[in-house]
Amino acid sequence: MPIARLSFIRATLVMLLAGFAALALIVGTSIWLVDRTQAYAEAMVKSRALRGAAVDLLIAVQDAETGQRGYLLTGQDAYLRPYDAAMAEIGARAARLKAAVAALAAEAADVERLIALIDRKVAELGQTIELKKTGDGDAALALVRTDSGKQLMDEARAIFGSLISSAEARFNAALAEQRTSSQILWWITVGGGLIILVVTSAGASIILRYTRELMESRIEVQALATGLEERVAERTVDLVRANEEVQRFAYIVTHDLRAPLVNIMGFTSELETSIAEIQALIADIPAGAADAKLAEVRRVAEQDVPEALGFIRSSTRKMDALINAILKLSREGRRTMKPERLDLGALLQAASETIAHQLNESQGVIEIAAKAPLIVSDRLSLEQVIGNLLDNAVKYRSPDRPLVIRVGVEARPGNRVLIEIADNGRGIAEQDHQRVFELFRRSGVQDKPGEGIGLAYAQTLIRKLGGEIAVTSRLGQGTTFSINLPRDVSAFVGSRSA
Amino acid sequence: MTDNAKPVTIIMVEDDEGHARLIERNIRRAGVSNEIVPFTNGTEALVYLLGADGSGQVSAGRHLLILLDLNLPDMTGVDILEKVKANAHTRRSPVVVLTTTDDAREIQRCYDLGANVYITKPVNYDGFANAIRQLGMFFSVMQVPETA
Repeated sequence: MPIARLSFIRATLVMLLAGFAALALIVGTSIWLVDRTQAYAEAMVKSRALRGAAVDLLIAVQDAETGQRGYLLTGQDAYLRPYDAAMAEIGARAARLKAAVAALAAEAADVERLIALIDRKVAELGQTIELKKTGDGDAALALVRTDSGKQLMDEARAIFGSLISSAEARFNAALAEQRTSSQILWWITVGGGLIILVVTSAGASIILRYTRELMESRIEVQALATGLEERVAERTVDLVRANEEVQRFAYIVTHDLRAPLVNIMGFTSELETSIAEIQALIADIPAGAADAKLAEVRRVAEQDVPEALGFIRSSTRKMDALINAILKLSREGRRTMKPERLDLGALLQAASETIAHQLNESQGVIEIAAKAPLIVSDRLSLEQVIGNLLDNAVKYRSPDRPLVIRVGVEARPGNRVLIEIADNGRGIAEQDHQRVFELFRRSGVQDKPGEGIGLAYAQTLIRKLGGEIAVTSRLGQGTTFSINLPRDVSAFVGSRSA
Repeated sequence: MTDNAKPVTIIMVEDDEGHARLIERNIRRAGVSNEIVPFTNGTEALVYLLGADGSGQVSAGRHLLILLDLNLPDMTGVDILEKVKANAHTRRSPVVVLTTTDDAREIQRCYDLGANVYITKPVNYDGFANAIRQLGMFFSVMQVPETA
């Protein structure tokens, strides 16, 4: 099934577009997903920071509380060290937590509340430490027993807990989102890759099929061309063969015709000899003997018989000439061709030299194509044909103007060569264009000697060379004979030798 | 030929009686008066030359000159030539092939088979008559051996 050219282009284009779209989808999605991933990563980092800040602050507050309790119990300054360290840190850590919450834009109210609680806790702690330092340990313990510090701490812990768990929840959510993104990316990439794979292989298969069909049709065209050439060659061989058969037929017929003709002529000759003897005998009889019967015999012997013999002679002579012409034609047709490499230019030049003398006499010129190819053909045949055509050009030139003969040679398709011999002579009337190639037929005013066999002969030879000869002419203006020859005749000759 | 004790007989194998007659007359005009035995077909000619048994014994001691046309109704003259030249008794008799064929291969074949002269009949009568007269003159001077 052949792919129409248009549908092939359309299909290929669609494939190409589909592939491009798939690729664009993959790239676009990837970019979007990478952006998303980055955003999730940032969110995760921020959640982590919030959690860390919350934990750090909690630890600092707990440290402070731990130090307070130890100091209240023992009254030793050594227990105040963690308290002091924590107190120094709490402000900074609270600020960090505030920043972390601000970055996430969430739970700001909780943090405010937490920081307020921590401030109050810090104040409570400071108060108890101050009371203990001034030696009023009981008042400090009484303050602790009010449970206000514990309540503050419990509230703070609750907020810490919710902050931390919220940060963790955010972290986990971002992580889940990131996972989803990677999964989407994976699917998109795999899906797009598959689409590209499908499109590419479909496109490749279409291109392959198209190319294969192109190759097939090319091979087909080549086969057709070869077949055509073969057929032309076959036809030519057939023609050559048919031509040869006609030649053989002509040869046999003329041969067989000639045998009785030789007898007719021979015995006519014998009769002439005999009648001459009778005439001699009658001549001896004196004319005076006026015998009516003798006068009759004398008339027969001296007039009737010689007249009859004269007609027989002239008729047989004419028939003999015709048969000889046919014989010559068929004998030439039967002559074995000897294909050889010929310089057509040199051959034409040599042929033109044979008419140079006649040309000079009538101020005629001959122009021969400068470039002529080498061909393989029968030299003798070509020389005879070209000589004959040039002779005709000279013979039938126009008396009104100097003769101009142009000989052109050009290559023709099918490894053939065309020789054209054009003159400005008297020309041939339209109705005689085919007739001039027929045996014993002549055209125009019969003022030149000739038997009417030259062109028939030329046609026979050219056909034998696997060629064709044709004429184009206008009466009173000139004639062009075209000879179309195979450049290498050995193929035809070879096929015939069988 | 006339000098020999035994006169030479000219065997003429020619299917066209008119041609045979014209050949005979033109040979006579050249001054050849030998006996001419005409045959119009190959079979009779072979019987005369080689005998009914084909041994050629009948020709022993004859002086023969054979004038042979190649186109015969019952066989080709080449067959006769072959048999005559293959037979011990007749192989020395001169054979003149006088025929219409001018095919180069045919001419070669006849000489290969032992033909002594090959003449193509001229296509017009004048040439024909002339050729036969010259052949007659040639006959008048040539020596013909006795057959074995």
